[in-house]
Amino acid sequence: MSSRPTRTIGYAILTALAAVWIIPLIWMFSLALSDNDALARDTTNLLPVQATTDNFVTLLESGRTPGWLFNSVVVTVATTVFTLILSAMAGYAFARIPFKGKRIAFPLVLAGLMVPKEAMFIPLFLIFADFEQHNTYHALVLPRIAAPLGVFIMTQFFSEIPGEFEEAAVIDGASRWTIFRRIMLPMSVPALTALGIFTFVQTWNDYLWPLVSATDPDMFTITTGLASRQGNFAQASALGDLMAQGVFASAPLLILFFIFQRQVIRGISMGSGSK
Amino acid sequence: MVYLIFILYPVIQAVWMGFYERDLLSLDRQEFIGVDNYVEMFWGDGLVWKAGTMWPWRIIGLLGIIPAVVAFRRGRLRAGSLVAIIIGLIAVFGVIMGIHPGEGGRWNDSQFWPSFGNTLVFVIMSTPVIVGVGLAMALALNRPGRLVGVLRTLFFAPYVLSVSVLTLIWAFLLSPQLGLIGAFWRSIGLEPVSWLTDPSLAMPTIVALTLWWTVGFNVVLFLAGLQDIDESQYEAASLDGANGWQRFRHITVPGLRRTLLLITVLQIIASFQIFGQVFILTRGGPNGATRVSIQHIYEAAFRDAQLGYASAMSVFLFVVMVGVSALQFNFMGGDNR
Repeated sequence: MSSRPTRTIGYAILTALAAVWIIPLIWMFSLALSDNDALARDTTNLLPVQATTDNFVTLLESGRTPGWLFNSVVVTVATTVFTLILSAMAGYAFARIPFKGKRIAFPLVLAGLMVPKEAMFIPLFLIFADFEQHNTYHALVLPRIAAPLGVFIMTQFFSEIPGEFEEAAVIDGASRWTIFRRIMLPMSVPALTALGIFTFVQTWNDYLWPLVSATDPDMFTITTGLASRQGNFAQASALGDLMAQGVFASAPLLILFFIFQRQVIRGISMGSGSK
Repeated sequence: MVYLIFILYPVIQAVWMGFYERDLLSLDRQEFIGVDNYVEMFWGDGLVWKAGTMWPWRIIGLLGIIPAVVAFRRGRLRAGSLVAIIIGLIAVFGVIMGIHPGEGGRWNDSQFWPSFGNTLVFVIMSTPVIVGVGLAMALALNRPGRLVGVLRTLFFAPYVLSVSVLTLIWAFLLSPQLGLIGAFWRSIGLEPVSWLTDPSLAMPTIVALTLWWTVGFNVVLFLAGLQDIDESQYEAASLDGANGWQRFRHITVPGLRRTLLLITVLQIIASFQIFGQVFILTRGGPNGATRVSIQHIYEAAFRDAQLGYASAMSVFLFVVMVGVSALQFNFMGGDNR
């Protein structure tokens, strides 16, 4: 399509950009694997200096990092599982089951898409404060599983499945629940995978809500915990530790992303492109 | 039900709380104070109106009437929307922005307008940059091949990092003494720059690292949009002797209109919600240059314990964001309906 020289220049620029995008990540891993004393002298290496895994060992043996990781795992897994169940069931109901109030309920869900979460954290805080539920796991999970985007995606998905599958099952005498479980759910595995990964990443990385709700350091997630250690950048004595913590906070997501990248990318186009 | 409780109810609660005074430390007590919170937020003592205040910004804002009129004449905008846009622009840029504290006067909340202004500055700087760079990268990547797939993965990878990992990496990367960028600057014989502590550089730096963090998302969406454009259109245009720019202008741009609208709206909404990056990296500094609305709301609620007032400010931010996205859809999607 384009001529040879422009193509070469294009590749050169892309390669340079790729370097800019990858170097910060490599640097984090390299510092995390470096000896702390060596880092006190020089921090500008892209390869580990006096390579060691001490930083990771220290973090796991003492301090709060294991607890924070545990909190993150609990909250993220719970949120993802509940979001998937609720979105699939609500999506199926909206797409297939005629019920009273549907014409009011679905627009309300769509209106929920318009509500910017970050602008609504104060009232959300007050709801949980009224019931004295802060610093608990369910306070971190519940607001997240109300995912209008998930319901919207699943409704779209189920609407596009041809009706014949269900008709055949109805003739065989299958109940609605059986149809949902045996026919619809297996067919929606790709959509659910994409939604699940998307939810997982968003929840793991959520910052503002855990910051507001889980104020007890033992209830921090790894995301807010890592942020809490960045108050004072002047004290760079344990730079390796800090970077190792960054690796702990990002590794699960990077691994998940590299395994499921096709689904992630499809999920994004699905979630926003189809609107 | 869950949706009602956690998404729509908070909106109602926010509007309602906006009329109350409520203290974080004694949550049980609340007092109805009517619109006092909004007066506190918007108003001040000894305010005066002058035509010349912030005039460059206001002229630019008023010039927004021209594209609206053009769109109307091309039939892309209904008459009612045109009138609403013109009245809105004149009200905001012609009248409201002329209000400022006079001699000895002051705003009731001296931080509210500056932090909202900083949010706007971030939105205005980051949206064209992150959308434009995303489009350019997607165009460059829109070809078959293994390498392209690898690069797409690479550009998207930072998007899965959390904001605290982002700030961790960049705080040190940008550090004049410890960071790679400082080292690079020294190696070419320049004095390292303190990116985050220079008031005029802090916000552009935040934009740059947000670009690194999130542009992959836009690239993926643009690539999906480009895939929907029929390849044969390009071939036909080439046969007719269209050059690269003409092909871009007459095939790519119209073909991407919907995607472009969607990405721009998503980006503006995301940019309005900026908080984590600046809160962790600069705490709103240097000298308040990067203090944004959400930080102001957060601090009003949890540092100053004024939950009612924070709710009122949430409502304001909410209305602005919904307004912007409604306007955008109306303006850019006018001919699709």
